Amino acid sequence: MNHFTKLVAAAVLAGATGGAAVAQELFVPNLAYRTGPFAATGIPIMNGQADYFTMLNQRDGGIGGVPVNAEECETGYSTEKGVECYEKLKGEALVTQPWSTGITLQVLPKTNVDEIPIYGPGYGFSPMADGTTFKWAYNTPSGYWDAADMIVQYIEGQEGDLEGKKFAFLHLDHPFGKEPLPVLEQLAEEKGFELVPIPVGLNEMQNQSAQWLQIRRERPDYVIMWGWGAMNAGAITEAVKTKFPMENFIGVWWAGHDADLNLVGEEGAGYKSISWSFPNMDAPVMQDIKEYVVDEGLSQTNPEEMEGVFYGRGVVISAILGEAIRVAQDEYDTAEITPAQLRWGFENLDFSEERIAELGLDGMVPPFQTSCENHTGHSGGWMLEWDGEQFVKASDLLRPNVESYSDLIDSSAAEYAESNAPWPNNEECAATN
Amino acid sequence: MLRDIFITPFVDMVEAPDFLMQVLWEGLVSGVLYALIALGFVLIFRSSRILNFAQGIMVVFAALTLVGLHAMGLPAWIAVAATLAVMFVLAVTIERVVLRPLVGQPDIILFMATIGITLFLIGLGETIFGGENKVMITGELGIPTGDTVLEPFGGLLILQHLDITVVLVAVALVGALLAFLNYTRMGRAIRALGDDHQAALSVGISLQTIWVLVWFIAGIIALVTGIAWGARAGVSFALEVIAYKALPVLMLGGLESITGAIVGGLMIGVLEKIFEIYWGQPLLGGNTEAWFAFVLALIVLLFRPQGLFGERIIERV
Repeated sequence: MNHFTKLVAAAVLAGATGGAAVAQELFVPNLAYRTGPFAATGIPIMNGQADYFTMLNQRDGGIGGVPVNAEECETGYSTEKGVECYEKLKGEALVTQPWSTGITLQVLPKTNVDEIPIYGPGYGFSPMADGTTFKWAYNTPSGYWDAADMIVQYIEGQEGDLEGKKFAFLHLDHPFGKEPLPVLEQLAEEKGFELVPIPVGLNEMQNQSAQWLQIRRERPDYVIMWGWGAMNAGAITEAVKTKFPMENFIGVWWAGHDADLNLVGEEGAGYKSISWSFPNMDAPVMQDIKEYVVDEGLSQTNPEEMEGVFYGRGVVISAILGEAIRVAQDEYDTAEITPAQLRWGFENLDFSEERIAELGLDGMVPPFQTSCENHTGHSGGWMLEWDGEQFVKASDLLRPNVESYSDLIDSSAAEYAESNAPWPNNEECAATN
Repeated sequence: MLRDIFITPFVDMVEAPDFLMQVLWEGLVSGVLYALIALGFVLIFRSSRILNFAQGIMVVFAALTLVGLHAMGLPAWIAVAATLAVMFVLAVTIERVVLRPLVGQPDIILFMATIGITLFLIGLGETIFGGENKVMITGELGIPTGDTVLEPFGGLLILQHLDITVVLVAVALVGALLAFLNYTRMGRAIRALGDDHQAALSVGISLQTIWVLVWFIAGIIALVTGIAWGARAGVSFALEVIAYKALPVLMLGGLESITGAIVGGLMIGVLEKIFEIYWGQPLLGGNTEAWFAFVLALIVLLFRPQGLFGERIIERV
């Protein structure tokens, strides 16, 4: 077949399929990373996300009768590849799930033009909470500034007065790692504790002896960790090695992965991680995933991973996205929604205790609500503790004191808009508040 | 400011000698590991003039194979033997499929071929073993994992038994390698090939055999390095990035010199740690290890373009 004949054949084929009915679907691509230095933490989350939608497709035929296509585009956590994936998928995508703060920051300015919502559950740029500025971005159900506030709140609950205390802030030297610094610095000033930032370079994730020598020299009361991927395992093993008291070592929710703690087992007992999700194998949604997906051989997960924090979080992440789709379908009375309609769904989420139970997510996510001006939901979270074998809840539900840094959210959002001018604010939302 | 640069660090060293000893020990352990990776590069470069970009992924691949085979039910030391067999097969395959067809091609082509090998091994490793972080079978291999706490000058010095073992094994490995290169027929053949390709070929040294041998030795070094690094923070594809730490070692020590790889690795391991702790963290906000070694190597290159132990090549035009 020569080149011309191929073209003719392709044109005929295109015409034929154009005339036929094409199966509709809800296309929610995921900029996943199952490869590279961060794959160890990415894989269980991506599995949880994928399995939830597979379960909905198997059990309910999708959402509102329309199947969900949760195709993955592999980024390896590379910002450049993430942007390529975004450009490739934006034509059909209902939502962008960028899966890295770096990719989020690159894609954020494009959303106003492309009008596709960004969904960065528990990550991304914290001022995205301000819906009057960031019309298309959502970091539901909780943001990094919430996490920083809750960790300090928890320590305050343990220690009482924080005046004169010293906290080491061990973080990945990457946009993600630096994200909570503004709130931690503000809290340090307000509460009188000393904050010692300690960066970990991407090439140093597996060998943090210098960072832990600094921690030994500084003698901090607590180490707060903003780690991801291989950095977490490196830090936890160094903490054990240098005999740092594990009960005074607290990580963000991306530093609470069972597999990282399995490396040290009993020696890691006491390590904590703030989390807006909790694994609950007894929850109906997990039972359904087991029945409709895992037992049917449609999953890439394994029983051990399925019981872990990250897999459960992946399920919750997709459940929130699925609920936003359903809310939009109800509002617009159509199953085949547009990205703009999904945006409405994202800012009208009501995860009440009742709704959480209806979704089968019992005990897996705290209640929260979103609105046009509140794109985070500020759900709060639980302090989880590694007991030597698994993570268990070590606190009641903690709620962030959003009022204490709402000015920071507003000013940072305004600063971002100004530095990216002309930036279209959500005037409609601003007018109603 | 001048005081912070020229006086305070040395005062800190004198006031807390136990801490300085800990810094030196940690630097030494890092340096030994850097030297091991650099050795893999040097061996292949000496015999074939190829800068083997795949050395980092070979570390990951060897460690993953070991852990994977053990997970499949093989006893630990049998798994080590089986992993060595896999690395040998890999060496033969690379020689047959990649290197042999490219004999006589410019060096840059061979270098790019090793990038291809890297990408292939990443894909193969992820397909077979998955990307999850895996626990190194340290206990099963009989590698001690406790520590010895000393109190020099009334202070505290923690020596991990794992680190002591790594240093001893690395020293033994380097000793065995030097003995092999100096006192065996094949070892001398490798050196001859490194000294002069044409002359070595003219006396009947087989290029194919030597290439298989050096790639296999690089595979053995990769396995030892993978066990050592994997025991510290698990086995994952993140281990690949540690290969980048070998590049300044090669710049500093010279691409052809085994002595250079060892001395360069130790120098960079110790100096980058001292700089980070006493100057980088207090004055520059830390994370200077990301660039210090390269700056050090560049300074050396200003005065010795061939590196500290590299051969001075003079080409007439």
